[in-house]
Amino acid sequence: MYFCLNCVVIMVACSVGEQHFLKGGIAQELRTDGRKRLTYRHTYVETGVIPQANGSARVRIGGTDVIASVKAEIGRPSSLQPDKGKVAVFIDCSPTAEPTFGGRGGEELSSELALALQKCLLGGKSGAGAGINLSSLLIKEGRVCWDLYIDGLVISSDGNLLDALSAAIKAALTNTALPKVQVSAEVADDEQPEIDISDEEYQQFGTSSVPIIVTLTKVGEHYIVDATEEEESQMSSAVSISVNRAGHICGLTKRGGSGLDQSVILDMISVAKHVSETLMNKLDSKISKIHKQLVDSIVYGSLFKVEIKHNKLHEKIVISFGSRD
Amino acid sequence: MMMRKIQLPFTQTQKVRYERAIERLQSLSSTVNSDASVIVTDTIPVNHEDAFLKGHGTSEVDGELLATVCGVVERVDKLVYVRTLRARYKPEVGDIVVGRVIEVAQKRWRVELNFTQDGVLMLSSMNMPDGSQRRRTSVDELNMRNIFVEHDVVCAEVRSIQHDGSLQLHARSQKYGKLEKGQLLKVDPYLVKRSKHHFHYIESLGIDLIIGCNGFIWVGEHVEVRDPVMMIDDQKDAEMISSSSSTKEQSHTPLETRQNICRIGNAIRVLSNLGFTVTVEVITETLNLSNSKNIDIHNMLGSEFHVVVAENEAERRREKRKK
Repeated sequence: MYFCLNCVVIMVACSVGEQHFLKGGIAQELRTDGRKRLTYRHTYVETGVIPQANGSARVRIGGTDVIASVKAEIGRPSSLQPDKGKVAVFIDCSPTAEPTFGGRGGEELSSELALALQKCLLGGKSGAGAGINLSSLLIKEGRVCWDLYIDGLVISSDGNLLDALSAAIKAALTNTALPKVQVSAEVADDEQPEIDISDEEYQQFGTSSVPIIVTLTKVGEHYIVDATEEEESQMSSAVSISVNRAGHICGLTKRGGSGLDQSVILDMISVAKHVSETLMNKLDSKISKIHKQLVDSIVYGSLFKVEIKHNKLHEKIVISFGSRD
Repeated sequence: MMMRKIQLPFTQTQKVRYERAIERLQSLSSTVNSDASVIVTDTIPVNHEDAFLKGHGTSEVDGELLATVCGVVERVDKLVYVRTLRARYKPEVGDIVVGRVIEVAQKRWRVELNFTQDGVLMLSSMNMPDGSQRRRTSVDELNMRNIFVEHDVVCAEVRSIQHDGSLQLHARSQKYGKLEKGQLLKVDPYLVKRSKHHFHYIESLGIDLIIGCNGFIWVGEHVEVRDPVMMIDDQKDAEMISSSSSTKEQSHTPLETRQNICRIGNAIRVLSNLGFTVTVEVITETLNLSNSKNIDIHNMLGSEFHVVVAENEAERRREKRKK
């Protein structure tokens, strides 16, 4: 659950005078854009941005812009855990965010982010403590299960990538609709059963227990939440804590070279729990607002059969509603 | 006026208000130039009998002069060219620029200016710390790091443009030099119009505002421009003080000045997002607006304040027009 990263720090040029101004601001509780130490930048969430994926979301926190997508494929559960589905997390840092990410430059950062997210969402090797309920991905024990591939893309980087990615993944999972699967026939043990994937019925993925990550960056004597790239370049260490709705810690990651006293870490954990509550509420309300708009339109669409005819003679489109059979 | 696509999500009412404000601004802008804006493959109206020179952004196809970039058609004597809007900084001699030192090279510093090439600030174009006017020796060259180091923010003036396009800068007056105790903001160069004054000292707030023509804007605590003769004594004092104090706790910027710096910084960010020209009047106007509406410094970057600023700007220009 706890491990250390040697993170690639994106160097932002900062003169001595500017560094001093930055640190002074953090000490005086007034950062360069007017935020307090524990305030997040303006966050915007959009879901359903990738129609071909089962679920997707785009999250913008200030200048940081990330997209997460969830694709589900039918697979076979591993023999060690026959009653659980599989989830894999991949992150890609696009060169549009930073020119240094082109080619193999972004690989190190991408693999670190993916590892941190995987540890936070999936728990330990036995599957214990996972934020995502892997048993809900099961279709037939030992034979058929859902494989979820979660991909994250960093389009623009202005600090605090982990928080943005975890929020995007949570929103994407809330947006994910898995088609209902019926196992058609009973077959012998060594054969794959036939499955029938429904086109119309979907089940929403339960995400109430999916955690989000809150990163606390220590600059000088104080910690801040949601650091910009400039502030991150001045950090001594950063701790990313993954908290779920119940207030339980699901994962912890530390970056940065300087060591931390244990009292500082415990203090950071309590601050993170406190901050995560507000963040979680904000995120959930934004997602449910989008959902409500979506559900309204789906409900409306399913009540009526919509027929669209192009009336070539009169050059107009006629939309007629009939009752659904 | 170009309508910029804003990244902020607006609610329905905000969108309506914003669009209305932009419409009013567009109607207020001089209509003479409205037909001068072109997009790619638009024909540029040219009198074919007169001899004219085809400049940047144009190309002759089938006897017609077409624009190859989106921008505004400019005519200078016989030259017809298309000036793009979101271009890199176009320097002119005498421009005041703010830049960041990238390299300390032999007898010069290389400065990043948001231009196609780095600006060069020669050691000889810089005042000596003790204020004396003399030939720079090799000892001076070795001590270059005492003046500017990498990542320092400096303010200088464009002295000349070399034949290969690179810029020569000079910082020969006391008001130029290293900038500390503040923040550097970057806006698009086309938002900064050349004017008589680029150094602004806002007395009521105790803040220095330097609007560089290259789009780099410095907002910081006010620093008194010192006489070089006095500098020698002050330097000796400063050395004594710095050697005695072991901690780096130099005086932090007082909270009120810091709040003003952050407010001005956010005002500039809002204006840059909306695509309005950045001048001292507009900045102080936005600042007073945020103060009068009691908007929290951080909320200045929210969607609501952007709409309010757009509406206010439309009002302000209409008032100016009436006078």
